[in-house]
Parts: sequence; structure tokens; C-alpha cells
Amino acid sequence: MKVKKIRPKERDAIIKALRSGVVPNIGLQHIQVGRALEIKNLLQDIESVADGGSSFRVVIGEYGSGKTFFMNLVRSMALEKKLVTAHADMSPERKLHSTNGQAQSLYRELMKNIATRAKPEGGALLSIIEKFISSALQQSKIKGISPEETIAQGLQKLTEHVGGYDFAEVVGAYWEGYEKGDENLKANAVRWLRGEFTTKTDSKAALGVRRYIDDASMYDQLKLLSLFVRLAGYAGLYVCLDELVNLYNISNSISRKNNYEQLLRILNDCLQTNCEGLAFILGGTPDFLLDTRRGLYSYEALQSRLATNTFASSDYIDLSGPVINLSRLTPEDMLVLLERLRSVYAQGEDINQILPDKALPAFLSHCNNCIGDAYFRTPRNTIKAFLDMLAILEQNPNVTWEMLVQDIEISPDIPTCVESPIGTENELSSFRI
Amino acid sequence: MSSVHSASNAFNMLHPTIQRWIWKQGWRTLRTIQEQAILPILSNDRDVLISASTAGGKTEAAFLPTLSDLLFNPTQGVAVLGIIPLKALINDQHRRLKSISELAGIPVYAWHGDISFSQKSKALKKDQSVLLITPESLEALFVKRHSELKKAFCNLRRIVVDELHAFIGSERGMQLQSLMNRVDLLTGQTIPRIGLSATLGDMAEAAKFLRFNGELSCEQIISTTKDRDLRMQTRGYAQKNTLASSSALSVTQEIQNHLFKTLRGNTNLVFANSRQRVELFADGLRRQSDEDRVPNEFYPHHGNLSKELREEVEERLKKSVYPTTVICTNTLELGIDIGSVKSVAQLSVPPSVASLCQRIGRSGRQDGEPAILRNYLIEQELHSRSSIPDRLRLQSFHSIATTELLIDGWIEPPSPRQLHLSTLVQQLLSIICQFGGISPQEAWYILHQTGPFHQIEIPHFKSLLMCLGQKEVIIQSSDGALHLGKRGEKLVDNYRFYAAFSTPEEITVVCEGKTLGMLDTAFPIVTNSYLIFAGRRWLIKDYDEKRKIVNVKPASGGELPKFESSYGAMVHSKVRKEVRRLYEDSTVPIYLDATAAEFFHQGKATYQELGLSQKLLWQDGSRTYLVIWESDQVCFTLELLFLQHNVTVSRYGPLLIFEHIDLSTLRKVIKKIINSPSPRPNELVANLENKNKEKYDNLLNDELLNMTCSIGLVDVINAFSYLKTVE
Repeated sequence: MKVKKIRPKERDAIIKALRSGVVPNIGLQHIQVGRALEIKNLLQDIESVADGGSSFRVVIGEYGSGKTFFMNLVRSMALEKKLVTAHADMSPERKLHSTNGQAQSLYRELMKNIATRAKPEGGALLSIIEKFISSALQQSKIKGISPEETIAQGLQKLTEHVGGYDFAEVVGAYWEGYEKGDENLKANAVRWLRGEFTTKTDSKAALGVRRYIDDASMYDQLKLLSLFVRLAGYAGLYVCLDELVNLYNISNSISRKNNYEQLLRILNDCLQTNCEGLAFILGGTPDFLLDTRRGLYSYEALQSRLATNTFASSDYIDLSGPVINLSRLTPEDMLVLLERLRSVYAQGEDINQILPDKALPAFLSHCNNCIGDAYFRTPRNTIKAFLDMLAILEQNPNVTWEMLVQDIEISPDIPTCVESPIGTENELSSFRI
Repeated sequence: MSSVHSASNAFNMLHPTIQRWIWKQGWRTLRTIQEQAILPILSNDRDVLISASTAGGKTEAAFLPTLSDLLFNPTQGVAVLGIIPLKALINDQHRRLKSISELAGIPVYAWHGDISFSQKSKALKKDQSVLLITPESLEALFVKRHSELKKAFCNLRRIVVDELHAFIGSERGMQLQSLMNRVDLLTGQTIPRIGLSATLGDMAEAAKFLRFNGELSCEQIISTTKDRDLRMQTRGYAQKNTLASSSALSVTQEIQNHLFKTLRGNTNLVFANSRQRVELFADGLRRQSDEDRVPNEFYPHHGNLSKELREEVEERLKKSVYPTTVICTNTLELGIDIGSVKSVAQLSVPPSVASLCQRIGRSGRQDGEPAILRNYLIEQELHSRSSIPDRLRLQSFHSIATTELLIDGWIEPPSPRQLHLSTLVQQLLSIICQFGGISPQEAWYILHQTGPFHQIEIPHFKSLLMCLGQKEVIIQSSDGALHLGKRGEKLVDNYRFYAAFSTPEEITVVCEGKTLGMLDTAFPIVTNSYLIFAGRRWLIKDYDEKRKIVNVKPASGGELPKFESSYGAMVHSKVRKEVRRLYEDSTVPIYLDATAAEFFHQGKATYQELGLSQKLLWQDGSRTYLVIWESDQVCFTLELLFLQHNVTVSRYGPLLIFEHIDLSTLRKVIKKIINSPSPRPNELVANLENKNKEKYDNLLNDELLNMTCSIGLVDVINAFSYLKTVE
């Protein structure tokens, strides 16, 4: 794949994000390497969702192996295919199941990040509703029936589902506000759909519905939303949930089990195609999946559903199951990645001027000496160091890459949860029970 | 004049609203500690330790400037965290702060197990609030509501610890220190702390306890006003020779009569050292009530009673509608909420000065009421064949020495070298929950590098993690993070997890299936050593850790003291030195009654007769005695050392008794011990059977147990130097 000349905005976004260790939101295609089969498979998924199907995938990879990158890439492909996407990172405050607002909080986060092709950066809920209204108005003109009736007919389909009646009521309220110019009512309807109501009384007073989106109803709400976006003219809803290791980390065994049960329900619905135009993609570490003591495998029903194809091995691949194991990057992939980064950095100009070709293998072998093969298991720090080096070279013309390579420090990538200077007890870093 | 000037200056520094509140109270002046505390607290750059007696105005001293500071600089979220050891105290403080908090518009919330959920939810959401909480509830917040806590505490300004002295040196104290450190880490700041303490023990120690790393300096404000009244009497009772006086009342009966006569109609606590005796007296007093046809006011309370029974008694004490006298073991000494009682009675020897002090502290809490202590001494009546310990009246002297030291205001310094590995286990599990998994390095950073467990070394920490891993308490995921294992989850899910301490149990002494009585768990048990118990010598056969049963068989030997010396806590060397001083000194303490004074004279006479002011080692018939005027740690170490050299020995208080060994042989053995290299403490305690002392000690392996045990139990250096003085 020949790299095209990229726009300065994209370049800056990519470089800035990678240097601070996070995945860029745009321009992913410029730096994607390897994993062609996985991408092809997921593209098929997206197409089947657009066709009214459903999909459920768990992306499993080590910490820093590029799960988030991969999922963002898939998400951008989904946007291209006219799907609505919503993504969120799980955290101790955002779970699939809870009784004190953590599932609702996850829903709110999803709604905050809801994106369409026209609004890839999120916050697209309002424009989705607007699109639903405008397409209804258009239809009413074509068919010659009143807009109210068109909308009512459209929403009729929703009322058959759990919680659908209230959902339809709220969308109806938005229409009412739209027609009467009641901005307050419109805002309340959007707030309701975003999951911002937390009491029945408020909900009743503002919109006349007695229910609001709470912990228990958040998944049903996502199903309704997937129907709704299709009514609005989108192809479907693509939900990306990252950092599922946070479910693994839940200390209370009952709460953890409840979350896994919710996950099982989603999996069953998606694989039995009980839902229309809805896809889930989840990202987690191998522990989250494989640990039989507290991972997904600790839950019998999930283990049998998520077990790998017994025929699959390193020679025979099977990417059609719900679990996708992100293979680690090979040294060759790494080299390609560095080349890509270099050309992004050079913005299509003479790349050898910044860094000659032979510097790339030298850099990689330096990484290898520093932290062993950890660098291609977790490319994040390697990328960061590489970009840092490029920045120095660019701004200091009298410095050569040979001078820098030996001095670059690369530390292995370790997840932390304490927000304070981390203990420097190296003796404990490799400690195993 | 200058003092008035500076005082008014300090007063002027307070916020006008607080000043108005003080005027409204009609106080003519602030107390000295209250004035002295204003500047250091308002300057917000140091810790403050305020020490004064009960009802000395400590709470106001801490809270007037603290609330003033809040009014000057309003913040969001919980602004002041008050950590208070007891629920009842929290309710009490809450009441006291109510009027001022209403005036200042600063909400004060009480938070403990009895507070409703809705109240609690409010407490974390209100801005600029004061939260009064027990360490256990704070632990629960960390485990269960970590993110809420983080939000609520982000602007925390100050931590106030009430009754600081009650924490020092205990598992719970270690937990408190760790929690305060975790609050600092959570907020990312060094939050100034205020400690409120009774005037007890070493204040420098208390300051060090309040902030062990010395990151902020600590200003000490110590009240010089006199403590409240203490009224006490020590009563002696001699156990008659059983054969001679079948008609006379038994000692138990006599004491029981006196208790019945003096305590009925009021609320009191009677501390007996063993459960058996608690039952004996409770039953006797109840029957006496029945016989006299009066309502029963006497109830037992100890660890073996069912929870319902215990709670019923506690409830009755707390409500204080009916007069109630509770006969208890150390279960009611600390930790459980009961109101104030009129008087405290102590049957036979109090375990330690600190413990006696806590027990007395239960009485006369209200303003102006004196604390009342009655101490009952029980000794055998002397006859021609009486044993040396009986003739020395060791128990009485020990009791009196403890009381004397209490009057002097001395209490045992907490043993700061204790590792409290049990609390380390609890804190480790707690931080695993808090962060949802944590790497060993991070745990090390929180617990050791910044936390109070700085005595633990890396190999020990690793070994601890290993053995928790083996027992499925924790597991490690492939990225190295520690998580709770099956057993760990079970532990943490139970509400009991939040407490770092457990109710102490007792060891049952059994001979061929027959129960002989109870021993305190602190009593070190080594198989094949001798035990003096219930007036006889026994050989310890084996020990059942799970059921806490020690099997013994009778061993030969002459007459020995009838009443067991179940001291419980380790006796400090200062107490032994005080005992010796009492033997040398001629004045009889004024609080002794006639019989107790008689014991005193008898003991002194024996001491002089044996010439103990000059010698420590003497022979009496087939027995040889070694008296050790040193701590129990030294006594126990010597016992173990003699065992190592195959010399059978049994111990009674400070006396080591050697059967069938003459003086010269023993001298040779002592020489041999001195000349051989001193053993490592870990090796010495290896044979000890009951090493599980604290709550989670059962999760540790032998190596760690030996380490933690040896620290509180043996003292090789002093043992050797004492042996040299014997020479």
C-alpha cells in the first residue's frame, strides 16, 4: 500500500497522540500494519450488520499490543459503511451491570461518544434524531400523509420491544417540541435519551414517561437505539467497549458474575440474531478471557461459547469465531510500522532527509537490546521513543541519528493504577507468586 | 499580662462566626489548650497533638480553629475527616458539634455501622462537610466506594484522630496509620493531622505515631491541669486451708458478697481474667439476687458467649435505664460501645498498666464524677508448707505495683517493633479491592515505602505474597497484577474484614479429656515444657491449633500456688522493677485494706528472710529458684534457653523453678549458656505451638510467624545480660 500524502491536520493528530501514548482518533489507515485477515473478517461483520444482522466479537491482546488501535480502526471502517458507532472504556465506574449507577454511567459515556460519518468525533445523538425527523418529513411528503402519522408509523416498530413504548414517547415528545418550537421539550427528550434522568419524578414531569434509562434497562435501550438509527436511515449501531479487564478486576465476586451474565445475554442476543443492526466489539487482555479463576472462562456458559475452535492452531486460522486473538507484531511488521511513521512524519517529503533507511533496523536492534522482545509485544513505548527521536533530529540539524540511538531509553510498558510516583523496587517488578 | 494579650490575639484569629458561637456559650475564657491550638491549626503547615484529660475541652480545641479555617477558605466535598474509635464516641462528638455546625453552616455527619444508607449517601455529597467515622467504616469506604471516596476527599483539609492513645501499638493502630497514608495518597497531598490524646505514656511516641515519616512537624499541646479524681481500694482475701475450715466461707463467696453489697443498684464493670471466673461470679451473683428476691442486675460477658447474649448485655449497658453490673473478661475493655459506668472492679491481677488504665477509663466519664476502682487480691492462707511464690505474695505485689505505676502516670510504652503482619495482610487485600488489582511494586509503595509497614523487608514481603498465593487468598494475573483469590474474596465479602483486630480467644487446658481451665492466648506454649496451672505442675503434651486446646499430663512436684497467674499481656520490665522496689520500700500504700496490708507485710518478710535484695539464685530443698526482675520477654527467653540445654524448668511469674537440680549444677549450666553463642530469636521460637495471635496470622507460613512471634516474645540481648548479673 503506497502511502498517500496526508493532510497536516491528520499528521499532527497522529504524531501528537502517539507521542503521548494514546491511539489517534483519525488517520489510522496511514499507520496500520499487518492484521490484514482480521480486518477483512471484521469488514464482513460490518457488512452483515448493515444488512440487518448482528455481530459479537471479543478482541484479545496483551496490554499495549494495539487492541485500542485495532478497534478504532474497525470503528472508522464502520463509520465509512454508514453505521452509527458508540464507544466507551470500561472502568470501575462504568460497568455492564450494577445497582448504583455504573451501568447508567456506561450508557451515558456511550451516548457522549456516539458518532456518525458526518460527526466522527462524537456527540451525534442530536443529529441522528434530526435525521430521523427530516427523513420522516420527506416520506410524509412523498406518501402524502401527515408527518405525525409517518413518525408514529415509524416508531410503531419500536413499541414492540422492551421499553420501546417509552422510547417512542420520548422521540414523539421531541417531534412535538420540534413542531411547537418548544426548545425545552426538545432538550429534555435528548437528555432522556442520553440517560441523564435519574429519577422517575423528573422524567414524568419533563416528558410524561414514568421510566428513565437506569442500570437495568441500559442494554435494552441500546437495542432500541440500534432499531432507531436504522429508522433514521443509518445502517446500524456498532458498540465498541474497551478495557474489559475492568470487569476482571472487580473484586466482589457476585458483582463480577452479574457483569459476565449481562455479557452472556448480549452474546446470546447477537449470535442468535435477536437484535437487528447491532454489533458489539469488546477489547480485553488474555487474562480477562482465559483466567479460569476470575476471567470470562470462570463462567461456564461463556467458556463454552467463547472457546477457540479446536482445529485452529498456529497453522490453521479461524477468525470466524467470536474471539479474535490479536497476533503480536513480527519484527517485519515493526519495521514497516517505523517506515510508515517516518513517512507520516515527513509528510510525504523526502523521507531520507530525516532518517536514512539503515537507521530503522539499527533502532529496532537497539530496542531489542534494551528490553528484549517486549518491544513488539507492546509497541507503544517503541513508537513513542521513535517519534521522540525524529523530533530531536528535526529540530537539531547538527545532530545525527547515530548519536541518538544509543542514548534512547525505552522502558517496558507496565500498566499502573496508583497515581503517584511508582515504587522503584525492581526486585518486585518481575515477582511471580 | 502578656499571656492575656496573646490569648486575645489567638481568639481574634478565629472567624467571627466561631467567635460569636463562643460568646453565645457564655464562656469567660478559652481554656489554655484551646488558645494554644488556634495558631498552629490555622497555620495549616503542621500536625498538632493535643493532649488533655477527659472532658478537658480537646474536641473544641481541635474543632474551633478547624471550622474557623473552613469558614475562611471554603472548599468542596468532605473538608474534615474525624477518625474516632467508637460508635458511641462518634454520636457524642456529633451531638457536641451540632450547635456550632448549624451556626457556621458546616454540616457534620456521623458515619458508622448504625447510620442509615440514605444518611451516608448524603454525607459524601455535601460540600464543606465534616465526616466523623470509625477506622473500620473508612476501610469499608476504601474497599466498596473507592471512586466516590476519591471524589469526596479531593479537597480534604484535615484529619482529626480522637483517642489517639487507644490506637498506639495495636493492630488497629497500624490499620489507622495505613488508612491515613492511603488518604494522603488518594488525594495526592500531605494533609495536616490533629491527634487528640489522653495524657498517657510518652507524648513523643504519640507524635511519631500520628505521622511516622515526619513529613510535617508536630506541635504538641499538653494540658497541665489535673486529671479527674481516682478513688481506689485494694482488698485482700485469703483462701483458707481447705481441710481446716470447711465451715468458713470460701474466698469466692466472700468476694461475691462484697460485690453484691457494694455494686447493686449502680452500673458497674467487673473484670475477671478468665471466662471460668466470669461464669462463676455471674452465676453466684445471679443466684444471690434470686435468693434475696431482687431483680437480677448481674450479667456475664466474654468471647465464648453467643453474639446475641453479648449484644443484649451491651445494649442494656448502653441504654443505662436499669442498673447493670457486667462481669467480663477483656472483651469490654476496648472497642465495644457501652456508656459510662460508676465503678470498675478488678478481680486479682490486672494484665498490664495500660489495660488497667483502659478499664478505669470506663468509669466516671461524666464531668466531675470520680473514677472508682476496687481491686480484689486473692492469696492462699500461709501454712508451714506454703510454696515460695505464695509466701512472697507475688500476685499481690504485682497488682500493687501495677496500681502504683498507674498512679505515677506511667503506662507500658507500646511495643513499636511489632510487625503486625496480620494487619499487613488485611491492608494488602484492601488495596487490591480499592484498585481492582495491583502490582506487587505498587503494593510495596503504598504499604512499605510510604506506609507504616516500613520494618518489613522485600524478602519477607515476597514470602508473604507467596504464602497468600499458595492459600488462594490472592492470585496473580499474567501482567503481574495481584487479585483476590477464592479465599480472599470470601474474606473480603464479609463485613468482619474491615476490622483489623479479632476478639481474643482462650486456650483450654485439658488433661485426659478433662478440662482443667483456661489460659490466655498470649501464654506461650512449647511442647515438653512444664506449665504451672491450678496449683500443679503439668507437662505439655501437644497443642491443637484449630480448637485451641492444650493437652497436658500431670508432672511430679511439691505444692505450688493455687491461683494461676494468667497475666495475659506480657509484663514490662518496669513493672517487675516496681515490684522489687515495693519489696525494698517500707511504706504500705494507703489504699490497701487490712488483709491486703497483711499480704504486703508477709511478702516483705519472706523477701527479707530469703535475702533477695542481694541474691537472685537460691536453693530450697530439692528445688532451685531463679528470680528474674525483668520483662516477661526475658523470662520466656531464659526458659527457652534452659530448655535448649535440656534443663527442665517451670515458670511462675518472675520465678523460674528448677526441680531436682542443685545450685552448683545450675550455675554450671548458666555458665555454659553464657559461653555458647547467642541463638537467633527466630530459632528460639520455632518450637512454640501457638503462634497465631492476630486475625490473619493463620494465613502466614512458619518462617513469617517465627519472625513476627519472636519480636514480641523473646529478648535475647537482655536475657543474656541478666544471666551475667546472676553470675
